[in-house]
Amino acid sequence: MKNEENLAYFLNEAKTIKTRNLGKKLRVAFLANSTINGFEETMRVKCFQKGIDCITYVADYNQYNQEILNQDSRLYQFKPDITFLILDTRHVLGDHFFSWHKVSHDEKSKFVERSINEIKKLCNTFEENLETKLVITSLQIPSYSSYGINESREIRGLKEIVHEINNELLDEFGRHNVSPKIFIYDFNEFIMKFGEKNIFNYKQFFSGDIKISTEYVPKFVNELMGYIYAITGTTKKCIVLDLDNTLWGGIIGEDGFDNIKLGDNPIGRSFVEFQKRLLGLNQRGIILAINSKNNFDDAIEVIQKHPNMILSEDNFASVKINWDDKVLNLQKISEELNIGLDSIVFFDDDPINQEYVKDSLPDVLVVDLPKDSSRYAQIITEMKEFDVLKITEEDTKRGDMYLDQKKRNELENKVGDFNEFLKQMNIEVTVQKANSFSIPRIAQLTLKTNQFNLTTRRYQEEEVSKFSSSDDKIVECVEVSDKFGNNGITGTYIIEKKSDEEWVVDTFLLSCRIMGRGVEEIMMNQIIENAKLSGIKRIKGEFIPTAKNKPAENFYEELGFNKENNFWVFNTDNIIKKPEHIKVIKNG
Amino acid sequence: MDEKLYQIISRVFNVDASKINDETTPVNLEEWDSFNFYVLLDELENEFNIQFNLDETLEIKKIGDFKKIFEKHKIGNKQ
Repeated sequence: MKNEENLAYFLNEAKTIKTRNLGKKLRVAFLANSTINGFEETMRVKCFQKGIDCITYVADYNQYNQEILNQDSRLYQFKPDITFLILDTRHVLGDHFFSWHKVSHDEKSKFVERSINEIKKLCNTFEENLETKLVITSLQIPSYSSYGINESREIRGLKEIVHEINNELLDEFGRHNVSPKIFIYDFNEFIMKFGEKNIFNYKQFFSGDIKISTEYVPKFVNELMGYIYAITGTTKKCIVLDLDNTLWGGIIGEDGFDNIKLGDNPIGRSFVEFQKRLLGLNQRGIILAINSKNNFDDAIEVIQKHPNMILSEDNFASVKINWDDKVLNLQKISEELNIGLDSIVFFDDDPINQEYVKDSLPDVLVVDLPKDSSRYAQIITEMKEFDVLKITEEDTKRGDMYLDQKKRNELENKVGDFNEFLKQMNIEVTVQKANSFSIPRIAQLTLKTNQFNLTTRRYQEEEVSKFSSSDDKIVECVEVSDKFGNNGITGTYIIEKKSDEEWVVDTFLLSCRIMGRGVEEIMMNQIIENAKLSGIKRIKGEFIPTAKNKPAENFYEELGFNKENNFWVFNTDNIIKKPEHIKVIKNG
Repeated sequence: MDEKLYQIISRVFNVDASKINDETTPVNLEEWDSFNFYVLLDELENEFNIQFNLDETLEIKKIGDFKKIFEKHKIGNKQ
């Protein structure tokens, strides 16, 4: 194991890091009924490495009930953005863990019901009183039952009732009745991945009630990092791939179409498996792109015609197969797809390319891909950087949307004149009030949109939901379609009704895919029209600069807003410029 | 072997190896606390490919005690 993955490393690093007052901030609370030393240290270091300033609170041992149920507790005072409640099966079961066979049938039912209700009560109290996320770990299924081989013949054996408790929690807070605040982390996934014999170390358990051994603490915290990336919007959006020895074995330019390894031999299978994992991610919203030094015709022939190729040309939103510099290609991909370099993950088998990209583009996450291709699939399944809080319809359709985008770019190149191109696009914008269907997407947009974002205020789903039902706020979103397809919900604004005369733009953003086609002007037109109808005299907005929102810098000025101190102000008696090429549909 | 032991201790406790000797205890080395002691035991087990017995770990009061256990385990290996 590399030293950077050891708990000792994290414990020591945690002492040296200082908050930098830049980038994203996050307050994380830990509640548990076992020793969790090392958890918060590891998380702070991991966050620090990703540019997140993480402040933690660890509740006293086994105080989680009081911390949640008592609203004066230190947990409430701490005001966490996210809370991890790490529940331990032994603790929940008490002596039943050892002697379940002695419990009568009636008692079993009562015990199960009581356990579920206790956990539900905690979750419900949390949901009612805190506007933030709670991640609760499901209970570990015991690997041993004193029933022995008869465990599976018992009605309500030991393992079965733990399953029952877990299922009941999933029914209550996951599945069909999804709570935006409560997440259940499948603790058994962690146990399956690394094994109970490794994770549970009897010596450490007897010595210090340690239930996740020190060696596995960093691995467990890594599992939790998926929530951190999702809640802070530091999720990666795009995977850029090399081809030779990355998507297939061998070098197409030397080995030729018939001799590259892809498919039915041990090496070939490892690449097929890797491609299948990539396809799975692509289908739920991760964009794929190619960055390879090759003759275009040789390489594209494999992608188009090789019988064992899993990914097809249509899975790639951008294809750079040329002899250009790899860093240059990455920059072009980032521009073409309108996504920041810090949203990109780069897979390349060549350590020299890995180092080169790491040095030149530190924002890109470069995967340390080893020489051995049998490890590729495992490496990608262990990455937590692709997690989002909720997979929206836009996510599952993103692949198609980028394909449409490719066609748009082709039309733009063909037509030449940009205004003529816009006319030919037949853009339609549907404006609608936030509803239960669009709220998760609106929250996702506030979390993920960096470039055309006037204020970059990040909101969680429950906050957007609260705004939308408030009389003092307007939350609307736009769905954009054109002759090439539907882009889905790609823009949103939140207006604060400050007084009878003045509205303030709290949030105004547009996905970078859509930027620059007049949709942003249409959105501001909507706000001003609504304001006029409500007798509002002034619209006030501010531009809060970040490292990334330069594209939106001159927006207010271009639309005729006047600068007054730190704000931009529009008098609704004035006429605002309105793009003529867009058809606007109002919906609800 | 002594050198490797000191090296690991120095890395886990994040102190200069020169501050460590056989008489080092949690009292005279503030970086040695009850939790990173477990981390140290685990790392030593992995690095030297041995398994401490629980009672052995409870008897470790100073760095020199590790050496005694190592000696014992080596004898165990020879038999």
